[in-house]
Formats: sequence, C-alpha cells, structure tokens
Amino acid sequence: MTASPTANLTTARPLVFDIKRHALEDGPGIRSTVFFKGCPLTCLWCQNPESIDPGPEIGFYPRDCIKCGDCVSACPVSACALEDPFLIDRKRCTRCGDCVEACPGRALRLIGRFYPVDELVDILLRDKTFYEVSGGGVTFSGGEPTVFMDYAAAVLKALKDSGIHTAIQTNGFFAWEEFEEKILPYVDLIMFDVKLADADKHREYTGQSNELILANLKNLLAERPAASSAERAEAVLPRIPLIPEFTATVENLRSISDLLKGLGVKKCSLLPYNPTWISKAENFGKNVDPRLSRYLLTPQELKKYQDIFSWPVCVQRTGRSELVTF
Amino acid sequence: MELPRNITHYMKHPDNPADSPELRAGKLYKYVMENKRPVITDENLLAGTTTARTIGVVLYPDFMALSIWPELETISRRKKNPFGITRAEIDELNFDIFPYWLDRTIQEVARKDNGNPLCQRIMERIVFYIATKVYSISHTVPNYAMVVERGLLDIIREARERELSPGSSKEDRAKKDFYQAVQLSLNGIISYAANLSREADRLAAKEVDTKRRQELLEMAEVCKRVPAERPRTFREALNAIWICKIALHQENANVALSLGRLDQVLYPFYAEDIKRGMTLAEAVELIGCFWLKIADHVPLSPETGEELFGGSGSNQAVTLGGVDIKGADAVNDLTYVVLKATELLRLRDPNVNARYYPQVSKKEYLDRLCEVNINTGATPCFHNDASAVEALSGQGVSLEHARDYSSVGCVEPSSGGRTYGHTGCILMNLTSALEMALWGGKHRLTEDEQIGPKTKPAVAMTSFAEFKKAMETQLGWLIDQVVTLNNNLGRAHQEIHPTPMLSAFMEGCMEKGKDVISGGATYNSSGAAMIGLADVVDSVTAIQEFVFDKKKFTMAEIISAINADWSVPYKKLQAMVKASPEKFGTDSRMARANADWLIGFLHDTFQGKENYRGGKYTVGYWTMTNHAGFGALTGALPSGRMKNEPFASGITPVSGSAPVLTSCLNFVARLDHTRIADGHALNLKYTPSTTTMSRFADTVEAFFKMGGLQVQFNIIDRKTLEDARKYPEKYPDLFVRVSGYTAYFKDLNPHMQQEIITRAEYDLGTGEEQKYG
Repeated sequence: MTASPTANLTTARPLVFDIKRHALEDGPGIRSTVFFKGCPLTCLWCQNPESIDPGPEIGFYPRDCIKCGDCVSACPVSACALEDPFLIDRKRCTRCGDCVEACPGRALRLIGRFYPVDELVDILLRDKTFYEVSGGGVTFSGGEPTVFMDYAAAVLKALKDSGIHTAIQTNGFFAWEEFEEKILPYVDLIMFDVKLADADKHREYTGQSNELILANLKNLLAERPAASSAERAEAVLPRIPLIPEFTATVENLRSISDLLKGLGVKKCSLLPYNPTWISKAENFGKNVDPRLSRYLLTPQELKKYQDIFSWPVCVQRTGRSELVTF
Repeated sequence: MELPRNITHYMKHPDNPADSPELRAGKLYKYVMENKRPVITDENLLAGTTTARTIGVVLYPDFMALSIWPELETISRRKKNPFGITRAEIDELNFDIFPYWLDRTIQEVARKDNGNPLCQRIMERIVFYIATKVYSISHTVPNYAMVVERGLLDIIREARERELSPGSSKEDRAKKDFYQAVQLSLNGIISYAANLSREADRLAAKEVDTKRRQELLEMAEVCKRVPAERPRTFREALNAIWICKIALHQENANVALSLGRLDQVLYPFYAEDIKRGMTLAEAVELIGCFWLKIADHVPLSPETGEELFGGSGSNQAVTLGGVDIKGADAVNDLTYVVLKATELLRLRDPNVNARYYPQVSKKEYLDRLCEVNINTGATPCFHNDASAVEALSGQGVSLEHARDYSSVGCVEPSSGGRTYGHTGCILMNLTSALEMALWGGKHRLTEDEQIGPKTKPAVAMTSFAEFKKAMETQLGWLIDQVVTLNNNLGRAHQEIHPTPMLSAFMEGCMEKGKDVISGGATYNSSGAAMIGLADVVDSVTAIQEFVFDKKKFTMAEIISAINADWSVPYKKLQAMVKASPEKFGTDSRMARANADWLIGFLHDTFQGKENYRGGKYTVGYWTMTNHAGFGALTGALPSGRMKNEPFASGITPVSGSAPVLTSCLNFVARLDHTRIADGHALNLKYTPSTTTMSRFADTVEAFFKMGGLQVQFNIIDRKTLEDARKYPEKYPDLFVRVSGYTAYFKDLNPHMQQEIITRAEYDLGTGEEQKYG
C-alpha cells in the first residue's frame, strides 16, 4: 500500500463545516450533504475556500449581528473591530473561539465541528423518509471527504446498514488501495471531478499533478468485476467544472472528452461557473487571481462546451452562496 | 333581511305558544322555507339562493346579528368587507327586529339561565378564549348521501311512521314532537323547491334567449322533482343538495357547515350521466355552477370580528379522494372533475380538502393535487388518511366510519353525516395561560385583577418543573371555564334553537328520535382549537434553557424584558433567545419534549370533560385568523416575540425559527396525532420559482409517511404579497390560504396580511427558509 498522499491532512480531526439537508443537486433525489473541511488541492477557483484548511474557522453572519460589541471585549488578541462592515483581522485571529462564545445572537459561529460517528449518523438518518420517497440519500462532499478515510468509512457503513443510498463527491486525489478497501464497498455513486487534462496545468492551478487522479479514475471504471460495465458507468459520474480561461477551454474540454471516451464513460456532468464565491473569498482574506471571471457563462458558451461532448451530458447548477463572511 | 324578518315574524306570532322547542322549530322553519323568495340568478344552471340576493350576508337574529346593531349606520361604508344595506332595512332592524331579540339570543339566554357566570364574563375580556356557540350550531357535515339516495319524501315517510308508533311517556311525546318537526320542516323545503320550479317556468316564459330558456325549463323540471324525490341525473343531484344546503343555512349559521365527500356521494349520478353522453366539459360546468352557488353568502362580522376573523368566507369544506370504508382507493373520475373546476375558478369558498393515503392512493393523484396547488397558489389542502383514521378511531369511531371521514370547516376530520362534532366550538388563547403562569394568575391586559388561580409568582420559582406545574394549573382552570361556558350555551341552544332540518340529515337522530343538539347523532363530540402553540412552546423552552438549565439570566430579567417589550437594554437577551436552536419545528429535543407535554396535557384535560350531549372534547391546532387577532392583544413573550405581533398560525413554527424544511416537517409529523383529534393546520409557503410538481409531491409524501396529519400551502413569494398589500387593485382575486381556509388577500385585516407576508417561506431548491431583509 502506498503512503496516503494526504497524510499531512489526515492527522487532523475530521471537521464538518456544513450539513445541508434537502440538497437536490448533489446526486439523485432529496439528499443530505456533508461538507468536510480539509482538501489536498488548492484550486484557484475553489468555491468553498473555507473548506481547504482542515482547522476550524470563525464565520460571521451579518444578518444576525446586533452590534453589541461583546466579541470585541472577549477577543484576547483584539482581532475583532466593531466597524461597518464588521471585521475580523484574520492575521491576528488565533481561532480560539472566545468571540463565538460571547456572541449572544450567534452572528459569530465556529465553522468546522467534529461530530462523533454516531451523532453524524443520527443526524443523517433524520431525513430517511425524504430519501425513500424521492430516491435520494446522503452525499459526502467537501473539502475532500477521502482525506478522512476511516471516519468516512465508518459513517458510510452505518448508512448502508440502514439501507441509505450513498454518494461522494471527490477530487480523485487519494490512495487507491485505501479507497478501494474502505470507501468503495459503501458508496453507490461516485461523482469524480476531472478538471484539467494537462498535467502541468493541473499542477499549476490546483497545486497537484493529475497523474494520481486519472489513474484512480481508470481504476474505478475498471473495478467491480462482478458488475456489468453499464452498472459501473452508472456508479461513476465524472464532473467537469467549467472555469472560464482555465478549464473551460475548447482544447482542455476536447482532451477530457477524448480521455473519458477512451475510458468507456457513458455520461458526465458539466458544472457551470458561478462567480458569487469571489466576494466570499475576498472577505476571507484570500487573494483572488485576477484572471478569474466575475461573470456567469452565457447560454451560448454553455452550448458550445456541451457540444464538445458526444454523450449525454447533464448540466448541474452549482454554488449556493450564503451571506457569510470570513 | 328576509331570514330575520321571517323568523321574527313567526316568533312574535307563533302557531301555539305552548309548543315544545322542537315542535316550534319545525313550524318555524316550515314557515321560513315556505315564505322564502325563490331566486334564480343569471347564467347559473342551479336554482336557489341562500339569501334573497345573488350574494348576501345572512343575519341570524338569535345568534350574533345583534352584534352589528351599533354599526348599522356605518357597515356599508367600512373599509374592509363592507355590507350593503338600505335605509329601510336599517329602520326595520332598529325598530322591528333587533328589539325583540335583546334578551332572546343564545348568549343572553345562557347568561340568564346561569346567573351571568364567571366563564361568560371571562370571554368578554376576549384575550382568553372564545366560545363560538354564541353564534352558531355549525362545524359539521350533514348527510347529503341521504338526500340523493332517498329524497325528502322518503325521510318524511320514515318520520311519519316513527311518529305513529305507540307510547305516551314523556320521552315518547318528546320523540313525537321531534318526528313532527322533521316532517314540517322538510315539507317546508319541498314547498321552497316548488316555488323555485314555478319561478323558473315564469322566467322561461319571458326569456328571449333560446338557450337560456331551455336551461330554465330544465331547471323547472329539476325543482319539480328534487329534493322531494330521488334525483335521476347529476344535475338533479347537485340541485337537490344545493336546495337542502340553502335550507340548512336558514336554520344553522353559515359558519363551516360543510359538504363532505362530494366526489363519493355524487359519483353514481356522474357515472350514469357520462354513460348517457354527458361530456366532461358539461360536468366541469355543473361543478363550477355549484361552486359559485356555494360562495353566494358570507358570514356576518362586526368591526371587532373583522379584527379576529376578517376575510373569512363561510368555510364550507368539500372533501375529495382518500379511501372508501373498506380501505380501498376511492379516487374516481369525478375527483378529477372537481379538481379541474376548482383550478379554473379559484374561489375562497368552498374550502377544498384532499385526502391522501400513502401507499394506497396513486402517485399521479398526489402529483395532480400538487399541480392544482401550483396553479391556484393555495388549494386544495392535504389530509393524511392514515393518521386521520387513527385519530378518529382513538375517539371511539368505528374503523369503517373513520375511513369515511371528511374535513369540517378548516381542517377538522369528522365522520361525515353521522357526527355532530361542533369542531370549532372553542378557540382558546394558550398564551393567556402562559401569562397567568408568569404572573400568579394575573394577566397584563386585565392588570391587577386576579383572573386565574393564585399560583406561585414565577420570579420565586426554583425549578422548571414548578413552572410547568403553574402552567398546568392555569390551563386547567381556563379549560374548566370554557367547557362550562360551552355547555351552558349548548343547553341554551336546546332550549331555544333545536334544528330539525339538520337532524333529518344526520345519521342517528331518526333512530333516537332526538335533535342533534340533544345528542341525536351517532357520534357526539366537541372540538376545541388551541391558538399560539408554537409561541408558547418556544417561550416555555426559552425559560427552561436560559433560566433553569444554562442560568444565563433570571426569571426576573426575562419578565422585565417582556414588560419592556424587549426594548434596548434587553436586545442582547432577545438576540440570545431568538438565536437559540431550541425551537418548535427544529431538531431540538427540548422543544419536542415541551410540545409533547403541552399537547398531551391539553388532550388529557379536555378528554376528561363531558359536553352537554354526553360526548367528549377533542383538541386541535388551527387558528383561522385568530392567531393574528389574539396576537394583536398580547404583550411580548419569552420566546423573543414582540408585543402585538401575530402568533404563528395553526401548528406552524414561528417564522424564522425553523430554517430547515425537512426538520420542520419531521417535527410536526412526529407529534402524536391521536391527541390532535380535532385536526391541525400546518401552514407553509413555497417559493413559486423553485416549486416543481415532483419536489412538492415528495415533501408531502414524506411528511405523511412520517405521520403528519394535515398540511397546506401558499405557493407565492413575499415580494408578490408585499406588492399586493401596497396595490390591492392589481390583485383583485389573489387568494391565499389563511389557516385552514382560503381568503382573498385584499379582504384580510392588516395583522393577518402581515402574518401571511412574514410566514415561513421555504425554497424547494434549497430546502431552506427564505431570508428576507
């Protein structure tokens, strides 16, 4: 077994930064989606910048702030300032959480919470009836859920024991043997991101080469000898994020299309770009690459990209942007 | 005007002043029906009108007509829901009619009989409870199957046979009076139908339009036959029911006198006519005509009534679909025809209720119900057969009868045609008990007066158990009062207002020889609706969490805060209470335990009481517009709610405190519906732009599979409602679901409009509550 490519992250305790109930875009039916914190990639366009770091963060919900100033007096390093808009000096902030404790209206919240396996399973089973009537289930997303193989496996197994349909959304950057042993037996659907066909560009924009990712995709599509190829094709859904100037180029999409065709893929999904994440990232103190678009794709552009793919392509709407600042 | 004029005339000149109440009523309604003007309105295929006008207000002189006495001069000019009335009519009411009734209304007779009791004086403070029997014997489903399967002559024949049976005891004589009253009043209905027939002939003779002349001639034929004889066609069956409904509304207030399972009762006639060549379009037109007839009268409400009930129609519930008495799927073609007419007309009355049995009813039926909701924005509402049948069975209703339930008024399940359940006889403000528990039996509105029992002042309490105990004491006392009052009023009804026509159309009365008001029906219960459930649960939970568990602040602080209406020094406290996830409609275990406790206590206490007909009291959670009305009278609450804000409606969570749709549906579905036998209204809004038929249907299906009893929707967003409030002229027919019934938005009072605007709106794209500024 090769060493985990994410060993430096897995030492952290798995934190969940959101459990989205009644999720409709993370797989079939009505689902609960668990967003894990921590990711081995650092994509320039990451829509959930708060999900990259595996540690907890302080989130600010301006709607709930009554401007009482209790956080200012509670902060031991004077990182909170009662200005308009409210500011947390992220460089000073040690994420101790004292301000969160002090805030009466829960305008400051700790983003990233550890749930014991039983508790998480209990929460996910609450909507079981909704999954049943709609053909839905539970989806693990992130961040990158495979960073926490043992934890994810324990939760997934418990869900399967209760007859729940399970899915994961992964960037594919994981150790194959461990994934095959711990995760694969307990997932019904794998939504697998394919971002860039070119290895160098992949390294440049995401921080890692795509070699391991593509090898894993090949393995996945070849796996499960008992299952028919049709079933395999159903169980793995490649997803291509359309980031203007980065992934959404004719050249890249043609290469990905050829690659997937070669692997026998029958269906994939395109994720149109949604620029609303930019303001969130800026508030978070993250430098946003100036080459990133601030506009939605036009229907013509989308059509052009769709046409590159010669098999059924489903276009998924992405991006939920809650008014929260970091 | 016709009705109070005729009733007053007969009562001033009775046939025999020594008649028993039953016999007097029989003669009275015979007189009323014989002297009722036969009115045939333009363009409708059905004959007859509730009042002497095309659309009218019905004045019941012995119920609540007197309440508008002070307003007679202004009622035609008031802003909301004005009523047209002429000078001559005002004078007639002032001088001839109202003076006679001063001490003869239900209210005054009950007061006199019981020495102006405390329970009646408490009601006059308004903020505690309302006992609606002062204005109605209603909230029930007559047996229209009897009308179309037998015809009135057959019922009269049965009454005659029973009257002639031997026996001369006091009880037998009372029975004979009852049977005579049935015959007299039903003969009155037949006379009215004959008058309609003659009127149709008369109009036909001078009609120039050949199509309309033909319609009028047919109408004359129809009324010659029904309701005396068994109808032969779909149209005759509809007109038979309509004529009987008109008659029932002369005798019983037009408040939630419901229609029952029309798609079941009428199906044989529909199917026969379809075989004979009736087209679907003709069937839809006939149902449409019937719907317009149903909406031809409105209840009377004085200015103060407008505050509490404003904009309400007469809440005549129609029930569709569900299962038959054997438990098999009962949805038929007529169910879909009725849905089509409902979708096309978008009327507030009738209030259309759809029954759905998970795993028995078909998915395409549920899809269609959702589609009609999307297209009308507010109707029909959804009832879960599995839970309703269980709730009724728990009240001693046989399984077959329980499966034959229909919705009464707003949402109350009742085995139609055999239950007199006056399901809305009590409306109780739960927050008034909360106030009395906080202030040792006093209420802020009545200041220093000791209203309820003296309990330990809340500031001196040392445990949450002690607080709950005080709540139970105050609730128990309120229940004693309101039940006593309802029973007093019921006995006054027995004395002055028996109801031979309603009794003729009610299973059980004929066998027992008894009027419904005296317990003649097969099943006898009384229903009490509780107002402010979620606000009280959230308040009690806030006290438990912050005062006793976390000890974040003291009871004295929370009392100061609500006395100051959460003003500036208490804003932090309010933010803390409001931000707590321990709320009705979330995953909170604490809130759930408190909801279970409160619902359990109310059910057990009411069930321990007997009504004046020997039946039991059941409890429901639906509020019409009372949550806005009572809210406007109530000060700030520990839940963080500010003074005068509307309470949450029905069994709905407080807006903004149940952000996740699945949690909200989970919470309500898992409440014990066998303790909610008087029904509940879960009022939700879905954002139109993300509401698709299948998403919508999935949420209803899941809610029902988890045990939910009833749910209803407005498919509308806040922006549209705000625009409609600003520019009512742009939205003349925008209709919305209030809490159990539908109303035109423009007719609602400002409190109620505000409540609907801010009511929790869920986005089916995200499953989250929409957040607005």
